[in-house]
Amino acid sequence: MTATTTPTSSAATTHATWHLSRQLRENAAQMPQRVALREKRHGIWRDITWADYLANVEMVAYALAALGVGPTDRVAIQSENRPEWLYVDLGSNMLRAAVVGFYPTNPVAEIRYLLQDSGARVLVAEDQEQVDKAMAVIDDVDTLEWVVYLDSRGLADYDDPRLLSLDEAVARGAERRASDPELLSRIDAEKTPEDLVTLIYTSGTTGPPRGAMLSADNISYGTDVFAEDDGMFGSDGLTHDDVLVSYLPLSHVVERGVTTWGGLRNGTIVHFAESIDTVVADLAEVQPTVLFAVPRIWEKIQASVAIRMANASRVKRLAYDLSRRLGDRAAQERIGTGGAHTPLSRVLTFCAWVLAGRKLRRHLGLAKVRMALSGAAPISTEVLTFFLSIGVLIHEAYGMTENTAVATANRPGRVRLGTVGEPQPGIDLRLDDRTGEILTRHRGTFIGYWNKPEATAETVDADGWLHTGDVGEWVEGTHLKIVDRIKDIIITAGGKNISPSEIENAIKASPYVREAVVIGDQRPYLTAIIGIEFDTVADWASRRRIEYTTYRDLSTKPEVIELIADVVRDVNTRLARVESVRKLRMLHKELDHEDGELTATQKLKRSAFAATVPHLIDDMYAGTSEYPGADLGRG
Amino acid sequence: MTTATEPDASPGTADAVAREAQGLERLTGYSRSLRSSEGGGTVPGAARRGRPRLVTAYAKDQALLNTPAKRWWTIAALVVALLAPFYLTRDLTLLLSMAMVFAISGIGLNLLTGYAGQISLGHPFFMALGAYTAAVLGGSPGSTTWGFELDLAIALPIAALVPAVVGLLVAPLAVRVRGLYLAVLTLGLLMLGEQIFKQWSQLTGGSGVGRGVALPVLFGRDLSVRYALGPWIIDEDISLYLICLALLVALGVMARNIARSRTGRAFAAVRDRDIAAEIMGVNLLRTKTLAFVLSSAYAGLAGALMSLLVGRIVPEQWNIFLSIQLLAVVVIGGVATITGTIIGAAFVVLLPRILEELAPYLPFIGGATGGGIITIFQLETILFGALIILFLTLEPRGLFGLWYRVRTYFKAWPFSY
Repeated sequence: MTATTTPTSSAATTHATWHLSRQLRENAAQMPQRVALREKRHGIWRDITWADYLANVEMVAYALAALGVGPTDRVAIQSENRPEWLYVDLGSNMLRAAVVGFYPTNPVAEIRYLLQDSGARVLVAEDQEQVDKAMAVIDDVDTLEWVVYLDSRGLADYDDPRLLSLDEAVARGAERRASDPELLSRIDAEKTPEDLVTLIYTSGTTGPPRGAMLSADNISYGTDVFAEDDGMFGSDGLTHDDVLVSYLPLSHVVERGVTTWGGLRNGTIVHFAESIDTVVADLAEVQPTVLFAVPRIWEKIQASVAIRMANASRVKRLAYDLSRRLGDRAAQERIGTGGAHTPLSRVLTFCAWVLAGRKLRRHLGLAKVRMALSGAAPISTEVLTFFLSIGVLIHEAYGMTENTAVATANRPGRVRLGTVGEPQPGIDLRLDDRTGEILTRHRGTFIGYWNKPEATAETVDADGWLHTGDVGEWVEGTHLKIVDRIKDIIITAGGKNISPSEIENAIKASPYVREAVVIGDQRPYLTAIIGIEFDTVADWASRRRIEYTTYRDLSTKPEVIELIADVVRDVNTRLARVESVRKLRMLHKELDHEDGELTATQKLKRSAFAATVPHLIDDMYAGTSEYPGADLGRG
Repeated sequence: MTTATEPDASPGTADAVAREAQGLERLTGYSRSLRSSEGGGTVPGAARRGRPRLVTAYAKDQALLNTPAKRWWTIAALVVALLAPFYLTRDLTLLLSMAMVFAISGIGLNLLTGYAGQISLGHPFFMALGAYTAAVLGGSPGSTTWGFELDLAIALPIAALVPAVVGLLVAPLAVRVRGLYLAVLTLGLLMLGEQIFKQWSQLTGGSGVGRGVALPVLFGRDLSVRYALGPWIIDEDISLYLICLALLVALGVMARNIARSRTGRAFAAVRDRDIAAEIMGVNLLRTKTLAFVLSSAYAGLAGALMSLLVGRIVPEQWNIFLSIQLLAVVVIGGVATITGTIIGAAFVVLLPRILEELAPYLPFIGGATGGGIITIFQLETILFGALIILFLTLEPRGLFGLWYRVRTYFKAWPFSY
């Protein structure tokens, strides 16, 4: 592979650094009455205008200042998405302090590590659940001085002196403001492009999480690249007319980039879902114009459609099937053109739209989506084709925290399914000649890992190239395809290099499979451990009158094992002989973050996972069959 | 933590009060200092259009016409209703006016029977009270009958008020019983009323004779004169039609709002189980009385309008058959729906006319000359009976329920739920 860069544009050098807090002031001055955010409370979407937004951020900034936060300090927050997250984020930014976002699912042990590692002085905890975690570790963390909570329910009896409600903190802030009203403007004057804005802990499928430091310059560059012409959001970028729903964790770079930074820079209207359980209903109400989702969400939407259609009446099913067939035909047409419409696909899409597509998209909240994006994990082409058949073209994008998510994206009209698209405009991106590892170089490359200079040195080389750890290959010379994580590549006992995620994704494309882990490093053949998608398999089972009780019971039913074995057999027919999966075993429980098998972003921690199921692996390679599963022979 | 035995933790000390205050401060799920508002900001049109379910204010959430589709259909229906009399023949206009009168009366009965669950066969009695009140106040005096020739603007409200007061007097009896007993009690009321009306000839003109009705004078303007409004000629029948329409819209909206208010929820609670409602704090006496009073007022007004439409009223017309017709309006239209009642009234009033039009094509119906198996009137009665049975067993929510099913079917498309 040879080094490839896009034609160097002058854009890379013309992006001036802007600061989040100054952008907020500018927006509040220009359009004070325009809605910036909306939060749902008791069924009503309450407006937060740009003027409100600024006022709230200033309140929180003074509150944090009153708690002793100043330049170069860290403020941690553990909360679901809600406006207060943004207030804390930007309030800290006004004080030149850095924000560290924790996932609401982070268990106590990880919170202890993250607090100790980041050295945050203040932790903003959403509710009783998060406060309990914080209070469990507060005595182990010397640097932590205050815990501020947002939702007071259940906390009336807590009387630790280090615990404050947001309102109490804001009241302290008001006193501080009265005594020193010039504080914020004084600090603002000292801002530099190198200011540390945030620490984003990358989950790290190996080893403990590492805090990636992003500077003001990184963020302003990344946000502008996304929004500029031919950037991630298409030729229009993000505009005032764009309606967003914030529901992915804000502790992740993508949601921060879209909700906070993009929303601020481009003046969009961001809606906060009432809770994580109501996202589907909230999407249908808000009908966003730009929707970023991780593959897991897209898969879930597809699965829910499949289940609900299976239970629909005959006439409706007929209309839907016909609509799907027309839509599929249109999708095939559009795949050939990179997503652009042909006259035929327009006619087919219209017919499908009239039959079922229009209402279906309304129900799913996709009626107004002009730009659908997927990222953070590989997505199967089956899912992409499904959404294309109902007229939603998903653009797969690629990036990581360490390069402020600026790497590649599929652009409208130039989509290649199965690739992550073309490099963002004005960046350097190449593949390592020897390993095929993807390397990027641009102004979005992070400062380094917090307190881990040796890890930083491993990731960014002397020439400024960021080593992403992903192996890629070029498709048609323009589009990048991700092969796998460099550490996950399996070398079989026969010496063959195999990318497990390709096989896993093919298996996971089945609506019945939620988790598939292919094993085979230093082994004679490949095997797989498979976890079922409980909802769809449960529906499948009840349709066949198979009785079951728990997840474990269902996943070990002989009929279910046969169902899964068929899925794997089908995948095997499409793979080379060495790549075919010979044996499989069923998972007995759903994987989750609390038990350490998944990262906070629901990615599998391969090594940690393998350590929890040695008995299953041994069972497959020892030639026994003590645990439920199937042996598929040589395929 | 301090324990309860320590003196400073006892209630009343400054520390405990402070802690109490802090505890209250910490009870809510939301910050009180941060700013946000209901519908306080502006958004570009593109970010607003096509999102009917994105409600940013409570008022919008509670609006009767909460979707663009409902708004457009309502406007269209109103325009059609306003223009219809100018393009229809006199007799059809009269028929539609009568349908609206039945609708008003039916809405009143639906409030009592559909929403509050109190069956009543005595509804025509209250209609009669309204009709006679209007006739006495607004009619000309006859040789034996009273008449004060007052304006309709006075006569109509009082025609609603008098039955309401009588309803208030009867209510204490009616709220003591329920179900079958209530049906019999109200039937008794109807019979008692009929006798009184037959005997009290100063009021009613007496049995078989009847009396004239209120003069069609509204706000000093004689409605029996022809008016020209631009290209449109407004005759007496059109005037009355428009009055009926205006009252129907106003009373319909009012009933709909009552039904979804606290009062309406109390009605429904009483209907679903009066004992449970009482335990939940619904005052049974007050709720049932209110239902009777409201329903009587609606009936009175409908009675007064009906008298204006027919021109002469006799005591015998407020009988059990009218009672059954009104029940048919409620049951066929849909129990506990306002829109349904209007549809039901149109159905019940227009069905005889439709049958009449169809008669020449149906050989088994006897015409004016005899022959055939049954007469139109018999067929009509049979049909009402059959429809009431069918709707009660198959679709208790009536025609409205049928419409609702169709709407739900397409609402979830292509899903089934």
